[in-house]
Amino acid sequence: MKTLTPNEIVSLVLSLGLMLIIARLVGELFRKFNMPLVVGELVAGVLLGPSLFGNYYPQLSQFIFNTEGNAAYAINGITSISVIMLLFVAGMEVDLSLIRQQGKTALKTSFVGLIVPLLLGYLAAFYFYPLFGEAPADNLHRVVFSLFIGTAMAVSALPVIARTLMDLGLFRTKIGMIIIAAAMFDDVIGWLMFSVILGMLNSTSHSYGFLVTFGLTTLYAVGMLTVGRFIINKSLPWAKKNFSWPGGFLSISFGLAFLGAAFTEAIHIHAIFGAFIVGIAFGDSVHLTEKTREIVNQFVNNIFAPLFFVSIGFTLNFVEHFNLQISVLVLVLAVVCKLLGAGLGAKWGGLTNKESLAVGFGMNARGAMEIILAILALQVGLIKEELFVAIVIMAVVTSIMAGPALQLLLKNQLTEPTQKPEEDNEVYTS
Amino acid sequence: MDAKHQLPEKVFNKIAIAVAFSPRIEAILAEAKNLEEKFNAEIIFIHVGKQSLEHEQYLKHLLHRFHFDDEKNKIIWQNGIPVETILNVCEEENVDLLVAGALEKESLLKYFQGSVARKLSRKTKCSMLMLTDPTIKPIQLKKIVVEGSDHSKTGNTISHAMEWAKAYQSEEVNIIQETDLSKLALTRSDEFKEVEVAKLKAVLLKEEDEKLNYILSCIDCGNIKVNVKRIDGKPGYVISKFARENNADLLVLNSPDRKLNILDRVFPHDIEFALADLPCNLLLINSKDEE
Repeated sequence: MKTLTPNEIVSLVLSLGLMLIIARLVGELFRKFNMPLVVGELVAGVLLGPSLFGNYYPQLSQFIFNTEGNAAYAINGITSISVIMLLFVAGMEVDLSLIRQQGKTALKTSFVGLIVPLLLGYLAAFYFYPLFGEAPADNLHRVVFSLFIGTAMAVSALPVIARTLMDLGLFRTKIGMIIIAAAMFDDVIGWLMFSVILGMLNSTSHSYGFLVTFGLTTLYAVGMLTVGRFIINKSLPWAKKNFSWPGGFLSISFGLAFLGAAFTEAIHIHAIFGAFIVGIAFGDSVHLTEKTREIVNQFVNNIFAPLFFVSIGFTLNFVEHFNLQISVLVLVLAVVCKLLGAGLGAKWGGLTNKESLAVGFGMNARGAMEIILAILALQVGLIKEELFVAIVIMAVVTSIMAGPALQLLLKNQLTEPTQKPEEDNEVYTS
Repeated sequence: MDAKHQLPEKVFNKIAIAVAFSPRIEAILAEAKNLEEKFNAEIIFIHVGKQSLEHEQYLKHLLHRFHFDDEKNKIIWQNGIPVETILNVCEEENVDLLVAGALEKESLLKYFQGSVARKLSRKTKCSMLMLTDPTIKPIQLKKIVVEGSDHSKTGNTISHAMEWAKAYQSEEVNIIQETDLSKLALTRSDEFKEVEVAKLKAVLLKEEDEKLNYILSCIDCGNIKVNVKRIDGKPGYVISKFARENNADLLVLNSPDRKLNILDRVFPHDIEFALADLPCNLLLINSKDEE
């Protein structure tokens, strides 16, 4: 087995240590201003990467954050594992029974919230792709690129939505659960679509062909979410009885997540999809306690997520690849698509105009998921650096916008729901 | 909140018994007689299948044996698909409670296919009692477990459970509030400090507690010992587990909000967890007023 030299180990652990500490410091600073931690982590990466620190102190930067050689490979491996783990946790947040439980109302809400941004994004990218700074090689790439933009417009950040509903006092209400279920459904479809897009992109470069890849992906997803989910749910009590817990859960769940990731990567769908589906299968188990869920969340969100988001800052020079036109276009398109789609969906789901607009702003927040989507698209050559930077900016701005927009829209209503349980109680009277 | 939640004078006016000529028929009829006496209700016996002279005479013999009054009660014989036929009769006859025997647990295949009793519970518009172990000597409902979830049907369900507890002179009624705060993890992984999470939980649950307290304040619990418990976990699963572990005699749940189908068994929620493995007799309360 090839090992790292002592100097490379120093470089590796030095980078990891600084990345984690600086990400936390900048993240907490941003949290003070009511911004998501992930924004701070991204900014930390930009500060440490070639955009700023690397630009002004290239030698020192190279010494600490070695971008070449074995240490760089090791960092790359860690960040690749991080994104797999992040998607596993994102999958754990999806509750299929909640989607089923909320029935047609949730499906209606999610359908509008998904289809409007998807369609508008697709059409905008298909007909106006030069405005995005892209020049697809052929018609297939044009379709794939347009589908990606549509998907990027459709996904939303479930945690931000949950937070939005909590601020509205709707978190544990029927309508709140409908929105959560709708957002979960959109996430599942969004990631499935993204996997299909990658499959389409890769179909030209490997022997499987698109249909085989699509068939295998569907088979994997359906199998894991039915039979796999059933087996996992039945096996957890046994594992809990015979293994140390929750340590045993961490080993088994992440082990299966990596196996799922390996399978989907092998069929030329990205590894993240495999982990995402395994996450759903685990997250749906009745034997998964809140405490265990929290341990997994904390472990991934506070160790691996910062490493991944900081590492994005090392990927490219954000200043050099910033394009105002593309950034404004992507931002405006994203906001319009989601406000319209999610707003209409929420309205259809039974909320008032103001509440629908508020949910529109909540679901407009793209957060971490959008950035993951963008970096993966960049890695496979689906988008260029300028568009990647524009999507990251859009993800950050829409996440920042959510809080103040809600404050403004609902300043008179924010505390009402928790103070007035009587409203709901009317149903108990006769 | 001015009007008090009140039950009609009679809990159930019409009770339908799904009759099959199985080894359990005598026990089911004994339970039916007990229900008739407890609730002073009219009993309708429904059998789906061919009306042979032999079956007719046997049923009449049994009804006579259990002292059913021919004038007051009715026997309906119909051909057709059992589930649909029984449901149609219940609707036509304006039945308040449907009673059927059910196995505690079925094979995996049978569970996904759905037995008659379970299919009825997923589709019925009236309340339903599923008896897991009917006996000639009628069941004792010493321990009753009731759903206390934050739902518009809960008040009515608890009211009915209390009436049953009084009728059966139960020793205790446990009202279970199931707390599924897994969604809270969505927001708190990087947004909140530990102390903030605790406060947030308290705020979220306070509202539910207030609703339940209001419901209980409106119900006459008599001398029955009522315990309110909050348990973390998936709704439906948690209460079934509690009922099993505490050897409950009757589990009382809200009826499903809509008809359930196979997808609800593949992605189970709420009563599907109870139906998958009945912990004890199951009573699903479906208020016609709510509809």
